[in-house]
Amino acid sequence: MSEHSHELEWETSPWPLIVCVGILLFAPLAFSFHFVYEKPAATLVSLALGGVLILISVIGWVKDGLEDKHGWGAGLSFPAMPFFILAEAFIFVALFAAYWMIRLKAPHWPPAGTPHISMVTPVIMTVILVSSSVTIHLAEMRHEAGNHTGFLGWLWVTIILGAVFFFLTMKEWSHLIGEGFNTTTNAYSTVFYSITGLHASHVFIGVALFVCILIPAHMRKTNSTFIRTASLYWHFVDIVWFFVVSQVYFWL
Amino acid sequence: MSQSVSFGKNLSQWIFTTDHKRVGILYLIGSLAAFAVAGLMAVLIRVELSSIGPTITNPQTYNVWLYFHGAAMILGFQIPALTGFLANYLVPLMIGAKDVAFPRVNALSLWLFWMGIIVALLTFVVPNPPDFMWTAYPPYSIMSGGNTSFYTFTVLIMGFSSIVGGINLIATIIYMRAPGVTWAKLNIFVWATMCAFILQLIFVPVLGSAVTLLTLDKYLGTHFFDPAMGGDVLLYENLFWFYSHPAVYVILLPMMGIIYEIVATFAKNRIFNKKVVVFGGFIGTTVLSGEVWVHHLFTSGMPNWIRLGMMVSTLLISVPVGLMMIGLVGTLYRGAIQYKTPMLYACGFIFLFLVGGLTGIPHAMAALTLALHDTHFVVAHFHYVIAVSGTFAVFGGVYYLFPKMTGKMYNEALAKLAFFVLFIGVNVTFFTMFIVGLKGMPRRYFDYSHMPQLEHLHKIQTYGAFVIGLGALLILITWLHGAFYGKKAPTNPWGSRSLEWTHTESPPGPGNFGGKPLDLPEDWDPYGYGVNPD
Repeated sequence: MSEHSHELEWETSPWPLIVCVGILLFAPLAFSFHFVYEKPAATLVSLALGGVLILISVIGWVKDGLEDKHGWGAGLSFPAMPFFILAEAFIFVALFAAYWMIRLKAPHWPPAGTPHISMVTPVIMTVILVSSSVTIHLAEMRHEAGNHTGFLGWLWVTIILGAVFFFLTMKEWSHLIGEGFNTTTNAYSTVFYSITGLHASHVFIGVALFVCILIPAHMRKTNSTFIRTASLYWHFVDIVWFFVVSQVYFWL
Repeated sequence: MSQSVSFGKNLSQWIFTTDHKRVGILYLIGSLAAFAVAGLMAVLIRVELSSIGPTITNPQTYNVWLYFHGAAMILGFQIPALTGFLANYLVPLMIGAKDVAFPRVNALSLWLFWMGIIVALLTFVVPNPPDFMWTAYPPYSIMSGGNTSFYTFTVLIMGFSSIVGGINLIATIIYMRAPGVTWAKLNIFVWATMCAFILQLIFVPVLGSAVTLLTLDKYLGTHFFDPAMGGDVLLYENLFWFYSHPAVYVILLPMMGIIYEIVATFAKNRIFNKKVVVFGGFIGTTVLSGEVWVHHLFTSGMPNWIRLGMMVSTLLISVPVGLMMIGLVGTLYRGAIQYKTPMLYACGFIFLFLVGGLTGIPHAMAALTLALHDTHFVVAHFHYVIAVSGTFAVFGGVYYLFPKMTGKMYNEALAKLAFFVLFIGVNVTFFTMFIVGLKGMPRRYFDYSHMPQLEHLHKIQTYGAFVIGLGALLILITWLHGAFYGKKAPTNPWGSRSLEWTHTESPPGPGNFGGKPLDLPEDWDPYGYGVNPD
């Protein structure tokens, strides 16, 4: 009896509501407090509170997901991911369209005020990101084969490569800002920081997803759909980088 | 003890719910709240315009009202009510699924939408609220003292909510149909929402990018829309309308879908030309929707060949929309029509949508648009074709699903009275608006002292707005009365053949179909009313 009636309970989960309250505090309110109303204390409070709420609910959500209580729609995340990637791709399409519209009517490019931008860093970054795409695929294959140690090893390598990539983006930014090239400098700085920033935020999300896989994996809890889906997302982040690097860095 | 404990348990079962039906109902409550506040803004705007000169407010506050009315009606009411409430409630029931593919993600999209509503409502309490239109065109939105970031975040949060909600329902429709529910037999509403969600996936991200660039320009000093530094103001208008024109199809497709369901049920008839409506009408609209946005910029500088191309593609849209209308009228033809309240809304919809659609044709003509652009004629057109039609579709849908959602019947006489009050109100207001617009009244103006001859027509519109308000109030009373004091509803009061009526309780419990797998007969058809298929 208990089996049957348990199945027909109303399903609940507190995490969606909590994460949304966190997002409300973390994004719109913190942004407005900082940039519009200039209240540093309120900014800090809403950032901290929002961050904690988001963190708690992500942990809770991942935990529930690995336990997979209902098992409804199990395995569907992987075929659903391409739809999410389609939407993500259009964010980039819009930004590239903005870039091209500004670029193609500019009298000369890059506009005055642009310092020399080294082409070495982007090449290194490309190599790192492409290798991380390979390593996550290796990790995925080890997991399918049931080799848990190999899976953990390649996952660690991927996370480190992703983090190094993110670090290099930040390092390049601080270098360029040090040379007086910031968001307000000219039209090129406008597109440079927004497009590389958008891509870096995707790298950050990808690494965060891998960390969400890594920590439970050390406790021998894994979900193969989750791994395949995160890896698919990472390949997308990798492919977009080719557009970023060819359009923003090498088409000068 | 037990009462407060069970109340607490009930509350937590509602606010933490991941069940698609409850998520749908919470979507409905949020969107109706947005409708109420935005509708109040509309009445205030009409009162301000009822006489020449400042009537009840100043231009600054008037701008905030206009902003809130537009943004909340489109982003907070129409899209969530149609793609959030109706699609969430109906799609899993219609395809015989236990729930959506990702129930927790569904709750996430619901609460994101509520957070969007909260950010939008903060407009009324924060200093320096956004005072530009819902379009937020630069340079004004960048130069204005209003809080542009609130607008950006409202759009971003609601946009993210639509994207994850859309992916969820697309995955549900593709992978979770019960055995026997084939693509060919799928309910027409499911087809319509599927197309609407595909549109959302493609176009919402572009709007998200556009409004983000606005905030970057204003608060981080970038130069996307600053011509002095190599940016381009028209860039924003293009990105904005690249989303916002398809957004009307995101609204149009589900509203057509629900109207089709209502018409088929109350005419007890098969859907006329279902294949043509789905492939030609819905998918045709989906394909064409991304190629028409420039008609919003006809008065901006552009080469004539673009104007010509966009004029042709805009006129082409009338073909798939025409196919949908023919399908509706064909479904009525030789049907056994019962004029219950949902059917009245469907018939009202057909009339309003025809008026709105036909007055849209002059706007597609680049030459005529130069004269009509930014007049009240345009405002009347899109209110007929999207705003009022969409509202009729939502209200009709709520009445249609009322017995299923609440397990109670509403009072038919009161509901019909409310319908006629609303129907008269919208026609008085918006038909007069056509006349005022043709006489040259510009939209968004705070005052019209340069054309005093229009004052009596403006007065008529304001009276109409009060009638609309009265109608909305009566509808609310009908619903509340029905929900609390209505008679118990049978499981299938309308005699529909569709799964959500034939195979579920009223209201359906957890798991929708009692936890048993569905066993559909070979000849099952959601529109099998014993009429020979054409």
